[in-house]
Amino acid sequence: MAAQQTPTNRTPLLIPCSYLTTEGNKTGSWRFLRPRYEEKTSPCSAACPAGEDIGRVEMLTAQGSFKEAWETVMMENPFPGVCGRVCYHPCEQQCNRKEFDEPVAIHSLERFLADTASRYELQLSLQKLESKKQKIAIVGSGPSGLAAGYFLTLLGYQADIFEALPEPGGVLRWGIPLYRLPLSILNREIAQIRELGVQIHCGKSISQEFWRGGKSEYDAIFLGCGHSRSVPLKISGEDLAGVKDGLQFLADIRRGEVSALDGTAAVIGGGNTAVDTARSAARFGAKVILIYRRRRQDMPAFAEEVEMALEEGVELWELQTPVNIAAQDGDFVVTLQHMHVIGKDGQRKARVKPDSNKKKKIRVQHLFKAVGTEASETWYEPPKKTRGMLRLSNCVLLHKSREPTLVYGGDLVADIKSVAHAVASGKQAAIALDILFHEGLDAVRPRLQSCLVAEGPSISWETYIGGPRSLRNQRVVRYSDLNTDYFQFAPMMIQPRLLPEERFQSFAEINLKIGASLAIREAERCFNCGLCNQCDNCQLFCPEIAVTRDNNPRGRHINYDYCKGCGLCVVECPRNAMILEEELLCDTS
Amino acid sequence: MQLDNLNREHMCSGHVGCPGCGAALAMRFLLKALGNKTIMIIPACCWSIIAGPYPQSTLKIPVLHSAFETGGAVASGVRAAHDIKGDTETTVVTWAGDGGTFDIGFQALSGAVERNENFIYVCYDNEAYMNTGVQRSSSTPYGAWTTTTPGQHWKRLRKKNIVEALVAHRIPYAATASIAFPEDLMRKAKKAKDMAGSRFIHIFSSCPTGWGMPSEMSVKIARMAVQTTIFPLYEVEDGLRYTINYTPKGYLVNEYFRLQGRFKHLTEEDLESIQEMVDEDWNLLLRKAGVALETS
Repeated sequence: MAAQQTPTNRTPLLIPCSYLTTEGNKTGSWRFLRPRYEEKTSPCSAACPAGEDIGRVEMLTAQGSFKEAWETVMMENPFPGVCGRVCYHPCEQQCNRKEFDEPVAIHSLERFLADTASRYELQLSLQKLESKKQKIAIVGSGPSGLAAGYFLTLLGYQADIFEALPEPGGVLRWGIPLYRLPLSILNREIAQIRELGVQIHCGKSISQEFWRGGKSEYDAIFLGCGHSRSVPLKISGEDLAGVKDGLQFLADIRRGEVSALDGTAAVIGGGNTAVDTARSAARFGAKVILIYRRRRQDMPAFAEEVEMALEEGVELWELQTPVNIAAQDGDFVVTLQHMHVIGKDGQRKARVKPDSNKKKKIRVQHLFKAVGTEASETWYEPPKKTRGMLRLSNCVLLHKSREPTLVYGGDLVADIKSVAHAVASGKQAAIALDILFHEGLDAVRPRLQSCLVAEGPSISWETYIGGPRSLRNQRVVRYSDLNTDYFQFAPMMIQPRLLPEERFQSFAEINLKIGASLAIREAERCFNCGLCNQCDNCQLFCPEIAVTRDNNPRGRHINYDYCKGCGLCVVECPRNAMILEEELLCDTS
Repeated sequence: MQLDNLNREHMCSGHVGCPGCGAALAMRFLLKALGNKTIMIIPACCWSIIAGPYPQSTLKIPVLHSAFETGGAVASGVRAAHDIKGDTETTVVTWAGDGGTFDIGFQALSGAVERNENFIYVCYDNEAYMNTGVQRSSSTPYGAWTTTTPGQHWKRLRKKNIVEALVAHRIPYAATASIAFPEDLMRKAKKAKDMAGSRFIHIFSSCPTGWGMPSEMSVKIARMAVQTTIFPLYEVEDGLRYTINYTPKGYLVNEYFRLQGRFKHLTEEDLESIQEMVDEDWNLLLRKAGVALETS
């Protein structure tokens, strides 16, 4: 027996020791479901008549990239400063955050971005497409005409706008009071459109002869003349001297032709013009009564505006309709018929009927009619169905072989008369004409269909020109699709405003500006439904380490060699920017 | 947590854990926090398989596979060997399942922490012997189906409160963590690493296969366990100082139970009594932490 050896280093280690990683196991072969990045459509952008990419705008705002955010708005709407102020923001009604706590203050953020762009004099860096030979005339420089000019110019066309009045802007300039839309904002956004290359010829009114007889130098004409004539009340005494028209009154204020109003003023109507007229009259010192034939909840005016009108002391008389106006010692005596509700008319409005003999009289010193407007020339209206006519969601296209193509847009064809709809109309007209010139009339509908935001009717410019947005799924993200465990409760920001008593002292803007920190905080509330904001949860929660960061625009990819298809990344994505699909057996990629 | 820590992986793809495995995620998060100066002892458990068959290993750190009951003892030895070599930098970690911690390995664990051995003991808890086919353990919760508590004979006994058992040893650090709260998990692992003596981390790691739930729900379920206070997140220092890390509000247990196949036999009355047990445990924890009782 050998002498006892010293142990340790001469004895081999008899424990088996691994020397390979597991990376040779392509566990991706286990997979029968396949996760994939797929951005979807946020409900706000689908609700926006102009189809703004709101989810992305708020994401960029939250990151402090204000210029990029502003340009993302400008890609769909040349009027963020205007729309951030006067739009009725249907986006906020569809905001998924509403079911969590309160919607995101989208309009305040839009306004903030425009104000920031204006403050730092940011220059728009959107690229125009290559020049094209066609020329387009635009009649009217309201929001639809200006938007049409803007988008046509971006597409490479020459657009000439003809405006009858001495200054451009249409209803934005003459019909919206300064306390809602200061002039500087409007001027800046019109100047931007001009800088892009749109020619605006003011003081030039256009007659029908403009395009008749095939002598026109234009290939197409966009009619965006709007509704500038008031609808008559059809009662006796409405044409008495001194009975004013609401829209005319608002324009007179802008021309500086209104001085103090004493006594009581009655405004007849329930739309935005009526409310604007009432609030303006109150600022001139009158005690104002707003008379509407239905109830407050039926008023077509935006609820917020009505609310503020009441705050400012405007009295609302519901279910009253004037049946007679008489002059008496320089005053007006209006006979009002009481109405009562007998049912529903369509979706929203109540149907009303006179309540037999319930009548009363009021004596007022000023009387304004604002029950609606119509086109001031009959030829502004699109003709009844004819050959070559295409009725689109926001405009009507009339294609003729010998004469320029006519497009009727803006309020002339709109069901809902809003600035956002007017922008949508101008944009749709521009895109439709581009398709028409390149691919013919038959291609217009299908091509427009392909750039819808969700199921429409809004369309996206970015999608039309093939930007990154065109890769999104048109499916709208619902609240239940989100993983709300990653969000914290936070109330909506409070819009700072002038106090009601301060508002009377001038036509100064009521809604005050907000700062960048408040805007960022509000933008951070946005769920960015359906969009990836690089939160990296997919990478963090992958048990297979199969999500890898890289340099592609998305920032990461899934390694399908190892992905077992568990789906954790899809469920833990807070924003529903991923999808889990059945694995196709034949797919070997 | 620093970003470069978060970015570093100490685990490879291609491991053989089931899709959606909570234990694989738990390991990934733990190693991100502990770093590569770690040696790991793995007694018999799911991870004995997940780590790969010889000659493969899915972990980029040294691993010592050990017998089921020896997690605490082997770690004590490995620590002693490192100390003899003068290596005090390497962290010795035992990584055991609930079977190897609550049941079979409890004696060795209790002995090691009683001696205040300088190591971290991590129990990833999937609430049954999953790897051998879902047999009940003393970690299986009240109401659960397993193959040894089948049909109407579901488990009518409560889950052992392992953290309190360890706290009773007055060890320097004991904490609970969950795969649904990675930042909290990594913070606790980092904190444990920077301490000396026996440290214990109890990680709730859901098991889609054994719990009868879709794989994509595994993190969601783990989060709900915390939200409903079925598995509260807290830490205890020196067996005395309690800190509750997450105080949820108003989540009821029903949804958590409804989403899992292992609880589908439970009736409304069963769920009510479970809710009472959960509330009782939560209130007990609040008392220990010195937090005023909720007035409900």
